[in-house]
Amino acid sequence: MITHDIIIIGGGLAGLRAALEAHNRGTDVAVISKVHPIRSHSVAAQGGVNASLVHDDSWEAHALDTVRGSDYLADQDAVEVLCREAPERVLEMEHWGTLFSRTRDGHIAQRPFGGAGFPRTCYAGDRTGHNLLHTLHEQVLRARIKIYREWLVTRLVVDGGRCTGFIAMHTPDSKLEAFRAKATVLATGGYGRIYQRSTNAIINRGYGISLAYHAGVPLQDMEFVQFHPTTLLGTNILITEGARGEGGYLYNNRHERFMEKYATGMMELAPRDIVARSIQTEVDEGRGFDGGYVQLDITHLGEKKIEERLGGIRQISIDFAGIDPVKEPIPVQPGQHYSMGGVSCDANGATPLEGLYAAGECACISVHGANRLGGNSLLETIVFGKRAGEHAAGYVQETDVQGENAHLDSLASEEQNISDLMGGDGESFAVVRDELRSVMQQDVGVFRNQAGLQKAVETIRELREKGRNVRVKSGATSFNFELLNAIELKGMLELGQVIAKGALAREESRGAHYRTDFLERDDEHWLRHTLAYQTPEGPRLEYKEVTITQFQPKQREY
Amino acid sequence: MVRLKVRRQDGDRVWHETFDVKDTPEMSVLEALFYVQERLDGGLCFRYSCRGAVCGSCAMLINKVPRLACRTQVSSVKNEMNVDAVKWGALARPVVKVAKDEILIEPLPNFNVIRDLVVDMEHFYDLLDYIKPWISAGDEVPKGGNLMSPEVEQQIEVYTNCILCATCHGACPAAGRDEMYLGPAALAKAWRFYLDPREQEKDKHARLEAVDNQSGLWGCDVVFKCVAVCPKKVTPTQGILAQRRQIPKNRIKKVFKRGKNSED
Ligand SMILES: Cc1cc2nc3c(=O)[nH]c(=O)nc-3n(C[C@H](O)[C@H](O)[C@H](O)COP(=O)(O)OP(=O)(O)OC[C@H]3O[C@@H](n4cnc5c(N)ncnc54)[C@H](O)[C@@H]3O)c2cc1C
Ligand code: FES
Repeated sequence: MITHDIIIIGGGLAGLRAALEAHNRGTDVAVISKVHPIRSHSVAAQGGVNASLVHDDSWEAHALDTVRGSDYLADQDAVEVLCREAPERVLEMEHWGTLFSRTRDGHIAQRPFGGAGFPRTCYAGDRTGHNLLHTLHEQVLRARIKIYREWLVTRLVVDGGRCTGFIAMHTPDSKLEAFRAKATVLATGGYGRIYQRSTNAIINRGYGISLAYHAGVPLQDMEFVQFHPTTLLGTNILITEGARGEGGYLYNNRHERFMEKYATGMMELAPRDIVARSIQTEVDEGRGFDGGYVQLDITHLGEKKIEERLGGIRQISIDFAGIDPVKEPIPVQPGQHYSMGGVSCDANGATPLEGLYAAGECACISVHGANRLGGNSLLETIVFGKRAGEHAAGYVQETDVQGENAHLDSLASEEQNISDLMGGDGESFAVVRDELRSVMQQDVGVFRNQAGLQKAVETIRELREKGRNVRVKSGATSFNFELLNAIELKGMLELGQVIAKGALAREESRGAHYRTDFLERDDEHWLRHTLAYQTPEGPRLEYKEVTITQFQPKQREY
Repeated sequence: MVRLKVRRQDGDRVWHETFDVKDTPEMSVLEALFYVQERLDGGLCFRYSCRGAVCGSCAMLINKVPRLACRTQVSSVKNEMNVDAVKWGALARPVVKVAKDEILIEPLPNFNVIRDLVVDMEHFYDLLDYIKPWISAGDEVPKGGNLMSPEVEQQIEVYTNCILCATCHGACPAAGRDEMYLGPAALAKAWRFYLDPREQEKDKHARLEAVDNQSGLWGCDVVFKCVAVCPKKVTPTQGILAQRRQIPKNRIKKVFKRGKNSED
C-alpha cells in the first residue's frame, strides 16, 4: 500500500497545478497518471488562454462574455472567480517560464477569440498548451514532487462516506496496487474519444469521470458537448480558432463566406456552437464539399504571418492532409472537442463526496455552462487546479489517515474484475467501442432530436450488455493495451448513456445542446443544471438551480 | 494492402513478425499499428497519446529512421526501404531482411526495450533532470509580468518546441557509444534556459558548468543526425555549438567567482 496526504489523479495542466499548490503549502503530495505528464492531452492545446491583462479590458467584461457564451447556464459566482483570478495565474505561468508570444513592447501578446468582445487570449504561437504544460512540469520537477507514471487508476475507495484513496494498475507489469490518501484530486480530463470524430488525444476516454460516478458522485450537465467548427478532414486534428482570430475566412462550395447568413456581426468569430452548426447546415444542405467539409482560407494572411502565428497548424496541414495553407484553403469539418459537463463540484473543487476533489476538464463547477469560450479551458485548469490543491491541502491538515481494510477489500475485488476480463472467447473491445462512437456521432452530435436520442439510449443499453462479454485475448503482463482498453471501455459506455439520457430529457436548445424539435431556449423550465446519479437501472436525473449574480439571462445575438 | 515487419520482443525472446494491413490513403504508421493491435494481435504494444505529433509518445525506428509513428504516412514509407538504410549507418544494424514493399518497424535505438516497441524512457528523463530543466523563478511575480522582446522570444522558441520524443537520442551516435552522454535533447534544453532572460545568471553559469565535460557538450560528434530527425525542427547541434562558444567566458567567471569566494 502506498500512502500520501494528497494524491492527484492526472498529470495534465489541472493536475500539475494542483500538485504544485499542495506542495507549496507543505503537504506530502504525489501525482499519478496513465501517461507521462507531458504526454497529457493539455499539450495539444493551441490557441491560448484568456485573461484581462490590460487596463481597457476588465475581469467584469471577461465574465460577461463567458456568461453570454455559456447561454446563461454557467454559475456566475464561479465565473467571477475564474475571471478575477485569471491575470494572476497567467502572469505566474509567465514568471515560471512559459514562452508567451510578445508584443513589440515586450508584453504578453493577446489575440481575439470567438465570443469575446476584447482580444484577451494570451498565446504562445499556436502551441500554448505545450508551452504551459512543459513549464508546469518543469516546476513540478523542481519541487521534486513524486510522480507515478504509467499507472491507470481503476476505482476509487470509499470508506465511511469518505474517499480514502484508490486502486491503480501499473502498466509496465499489470500489477494492481492500493493507494491511500486523505484527499484525492481528480484531474483526468475529457472523454472526447467516445465520439467518432474528436480533436482529443486517443487516451481521452473519460474513465476518470466514470470513477467518480461509480463512487456515487453526480455528473453534471453532461449533455453539453462542444463541437469545434474547424477540425482537419480525416484525422480531425484541431485547426485552432486562432486561424479565424488572425483573419481566416470560411467558404462553402459556392465560394460564399456563409457566416454572413448566420452571424452577421461576428462572422467567423461567433461562438463555437454557432459556427459548428452553420458549417454542418451548409454541408447538410449540399453546399459543402465531397466528404462533408467546408474550406478555411488563410492564404491572404501571407507566408510570414502564417509562419509566425500559425506555424503549428501549417505543419499539421502539411503532415496530416498534404495541404500547405499558405497556398490552399484547409478542408475542415466539425468534431467533438470539449466536455462542458463533468464531475459536479464547487469553486474549491470539492465534490459532494468528502475527500474527493475535481479540477480541469473532468470537473463541472460550472464556468462554461452550455458552451465554453475558446481560451477559457486552459484558464480553468490553472485557476481551479490551484484552488483544488489549496483546499485539499487545508482539508488534510484536519483529517486523519483512514484504516486499510476498505483498500484491501477493493483491491481484492478489483483483482477479480480484471481476471474475469481475461482470456476465452468474447467480444472485442474495439467492436463495441466503434459502435458506441458511431451512435454518439450520429444521434448525440451537433443536431439532436427525440427519435435519434431515443435510439441512442436504446443502442447504448444494448452495447452495455455486449460490453459485459468483452474479453482480452492477449495474456501479456507488460503494457497490455488490449486490457487497458477493455477496462476503460466500461466507463465510456457509461458516460455515453449519461450524455444521451440527459440530452433526451432536456427539451430545449441551449448552447451546444441543439434540439431540432425544440429550437428555443426555455429558461422557464430548463435554466437549471442536470445531475446524473448512477443506479443499477442506469442514470437517475435530478436538477439544480443556476447561480445568477449580475447578468440576467438575455437572448444571445452575435 | 501494406505489409509491416515488426520487431517483437518479450523478455529475452526476440523475433520479427509480418502483418498485412489494409491501408487507406492518409493512413499513418500509428494507425497501421492500431489496425494490428485491434484486429490481428492485441498483444502488440507501442506508446501513443495525441496522434498529432505534439505529445512525443510514439517515437520508433521506421525503415531504420527514428520518427514519430503518428506523423509518418504509410504511403510515404511503403517502398522506401533500403534507400535510407545506407545513409543511417550504425542504425542499420542489426541487418534485417526486408522485402522491398515492407515497412520495417523497430523500437527506438539506444534504449533498453521493455516489450515490443515500448522502450525504457526513464534513462532519458534522468539525463534531462541532470541539467535542472526549469527556470529558478523567485517567489515574487513582477507586477505586470516580465518583459521580453519578440526577437528574444523567437530565438528561444526554436528550442522550446522540443516535445521530448527522443527521436534525436535514438539517432545520436554519441548516445549509442556512451550511456552517460546527456544527449541532444537535454543539451538543447540547457541552451533554451541559457537564452532565457528570466533565468538567474548564477543558475545559467552553474548549468553551463555542469555540461562542460565529455558527457556533455564535448561528447557531441557534430554530425547533425539529431537535427535531421527532429519532427519539430529543433536544432540541438547548433545549441551545443553555441554553448561551447560560451565556455571560455564561463570558465573565467568560474575562476573569478572562486577568487571572490576566497576573499569572503
Ligand atoms: C486540440 C485541442 C486544443 C485545445 N486548445 C485550447 C485552447 O487553445 N485554449 C483553451 O483554453 N483550451 C483548449 N483546449 C481544451 C484544453 O486543452 C483542455 O480542456 C485542458 O487541457 C484539459 O486539461 P486537464 O488537465 O483537465 O486534462 P488533461 O490534460 O487531459 O489531463 C488528464 C490527465 O489525466 C490522466 N488520466 C486520465 N484518466 C486516468 C486514469 N484513469 N488513471 C490515471 N491517470 C489518468 C492522463 O494521463 C492525463 O495526465 C483544447 C483542447 C483540444 C482537444
Ligand atoms: S502520438 Fe503523440 S506524438 Fe505521436
